[in-house]
Amino acid sequence: MSVAPVSVPHARALEAWRSAAPAAPRACELPVPELLHGFHPDHRPGAMQTLRVGPSAGLPCPAELADLLQADSLVEDVDIAGAPMLDTDVLVIGGGGAGCIAALTAARAGARVLLATKLRIGDSNTVMAEGGIQAAVGAEDSLQRHFEDTLRAGHFAADKALVSALVSDGPDAVRWLIQEGMSFDLTENSQRMGGTLLRKTPGGATAARLLSYRDFTGLELMRAVREATLLQPSIVIMDRHPAMELLTDDRGRCAGAALHDLARGRTVLVRAGATVLATGGSGRLHIAGFPTSNHYGATADGLVLAYRLGAPLREIDSFQYHPTGIAWPHHLEGALVSEAARSSGAFLVNGLGQRFVEELRPRDVVASAILREIAEGRGVERDGSTGVFLDTPSLERAQPGILGRSLVTLTHLAHRAGFDAAAEPFLIRPTLHYQNGGVAIDPSGRTDVPGLLCAGEVVGGLHGRNRMMGNALLELVAFGRRAGAAAAADARGERPRNVGLTHLADWRRALLIQGLSLSRKAPMIFPPYGNFDAATARGKAA
Amino acid sequence: MADDAAVTEHVHFVFDGHRIESSSKTSLLQAWAAAGLPLTENVGCMGQGVCGACRVLVRRKGERLAGTALACETLPEEGMQVSFLDHFPARRPHAYDLHALTDSWTAIDEIDKVFPEAKNCRHCSGCDRACPKGIEVQRMVNLAAVGQAFAAAELFDHCVMCNLCVAACPEHIDPAHLGQFVRRMAASLTLRPSDLIMRLHEIEDGRQVIDPDAPGANPPVAP
Repeated sequence: MSVAPVSVPHARALEAWRSAAPAAPRACELPVPELLHGFHPDHRPGAMQTLRVGPSAGLPCPAELADLLQADSLVEDVDIAGAPMLDTDVLVIGGGGAGCIAALTAARAGARVLLATKLRIGDSNTVMAEGGIQAAVGAEDSLQRHFEDTLRAGHFAADKALVSALVSDGPDAVRWLIQEGMSFDLTENSQRMGGTLLRKTPGGATAARLLSYRDFTGLELMRAVREATLLQPSIVIMDRHPAMELLTDDRGRCAGAALHDLARGRTVLVRAGATVLATGGSGRLHIAGFPTSNHYGATADGLVLAYRLGAPLREIDSFQYHPTGIAWPHHLEGALVSEAARSSGAFLVNGLGQRFVEELRPRDVVASAILREIAEGRGVERDGSTGVFLDTPSLERAQPGILGRSLVTLTHLAHRAGFDAAAEPFLIRPTLHYQNGGVAIDPSGRTDVPGLLCAGEVVGGLHGRNRMMGNALLELVAFGRRAGAAAAADARGERPRNVGLTHLADWRRALLIQGLSLSRKAPMIFPPYGNFDAATARGKAA
Repeated sequence: MADDAAVTEHVHFVFDGHRIESSSKTSLLQAWAAAGLPLTENVGCMGQGVCGACRVLVRRKGERLAGTALACETLPEEGMQVSFLDHFPARRPHAYDLHALTDSWTAIDEIDKVFPEAKNCRHCSGCDRACPKGIEVQRMVNLAAVGQAFAAAELFDHCVMCNLCVAACPEHIDPAHLGQFVRRMAASLTLRPSDLIMRLHEIEDGRQVIDPDAPGANPPVAP
């Protein structure tokens, strides 16, 4: 798109909205395949490149990610020559939900664990998850239905063995979370002992299966799990230690990682019998120029490290754009307005005061319909940002009190944006939300590289080409536990020797053969607007 | 409503010793990054206000005292003085093993055993003033100290674990961790949903087997 389309100025759009509110229902007249093909960001012409080096050469991949996957290492032999070396049984990279749960599980299985995280333990997408966690606990529901719903929502692209493991772990994952001290919503007038869990229906599900804690389920999960991790003997936590490169031993096993100690500006090596990557997603790559709902550290570091070491990836051309991210004000751009607004009955309205899609269609459909309105000049423009309206005032008028009663986070968000959600509609636009694909694993969490395991959003194969709401929190518990247990078992008796960067010689040769530059370095560690270039700032305390 | 563009103003403020000129409509955190300063800590969710990473001390023009806030939720003002409050590890960990708490008769005694300082609260309300979420921290501490675990747990519902109350407490009570202790205790000792337990029994008895080749597990075949 070279020329920005003309949009309706905010004041004029407000008038149109006011005179038509509540707007009459109107379905999108374009058939779904045409809508997705024409307007979903995954399908933009030129959006994808073909990977030329590495174990998944030939796969399509967004240019922003391909640049990182096909880059050279930040680390040379000279950097690690005199670096201090720490020893541990299991190294966990990433301090979000998956990383903490893997670390806890490995430590309780008897392993010495070192958990290294780029920011601070708990800083992650996990803490930002609002909706809930899926687990088939309803009498009318079954593991089979959860299995089939997940496969269908992912357009049958997911790995059946992984999905089977995921859904089978659901009920036990919830019991495990309660044992760690996490609370869940119960049905009204339900007792804490013997009562029943409150269940909602996630988009694309055939049964009510979404368990929640208010509208901050991820925060409640992370609070309990972070506290458990902090209190667990035999876990050493290293905040502000991003991984720059994985280490190998002379048998090609993953043998740990080279970390960057940000506070001291130096490299620290960790030698480990098994390494779990739990580095999360990649929203901060701002693929196709989109804002993101992701936390600051989501820069695809784990994908880059695993790929360079020889672990195949899958479905890395598939991303989830959440329909309702904040478009205005600027300081909240990309932040999420929960799907609860639409499932409660809020409409989407364009700059002409018209609805343009059934609001509760799947996320990819609604997001594409919004992008179509913007592309065709029916968006709303305010202070240089373009979006469409999420009509919360009409919702409040139809169901008085709903904003203050059950959409607490949304009401709070409007307050921080400086307006009253009961009087003025939100200006929203799709926001980059989730990486559907990732590193290929088996049901134990092991990758194709011995000694390297993965858990959480960095994993591919669980969601196919579209993730259901509530399966991300389940995944990080189920596979955090699986990878933690497998890592503890793999580390038993493993003492890597001759640890180094032997894999990099082959990697650099492959880049040169393909005519790719060695001057581009990855992982990115922090987004460009963080004003920290890992390639040049190393050696200085940050 | 006035034209939006006309309302945007530029403000000057000081952030960790750096003089920054910025739009009054970006958060303190965004203004820091937009000024070209390195952002490698004190940052997490960037605006949702749930991670508690971007803690700052803020003094507004004309005010004598500085208050605490989250930088992702606060907009800059002319003449404001701001500084990051680094994250610090709890140096006096109040250690407990939740899984060892199996006798609920003694659970309340555990609060005093693990957090003996809680009964020494001076009622200075420093924790209340420090909390960016408006939690009645001091009341939670007082309730927990007399064993009212559920009531205390409920008060800490919106905690984002920024630990500002931990920094503020002169008695080293660690209110944030005390709040989590009572919350975790309440859930792990008393939450026993019957539907979950019945389903777990079915799974253990082999009555929830997944058929990977069922018709619904494969793409619909075109007729």
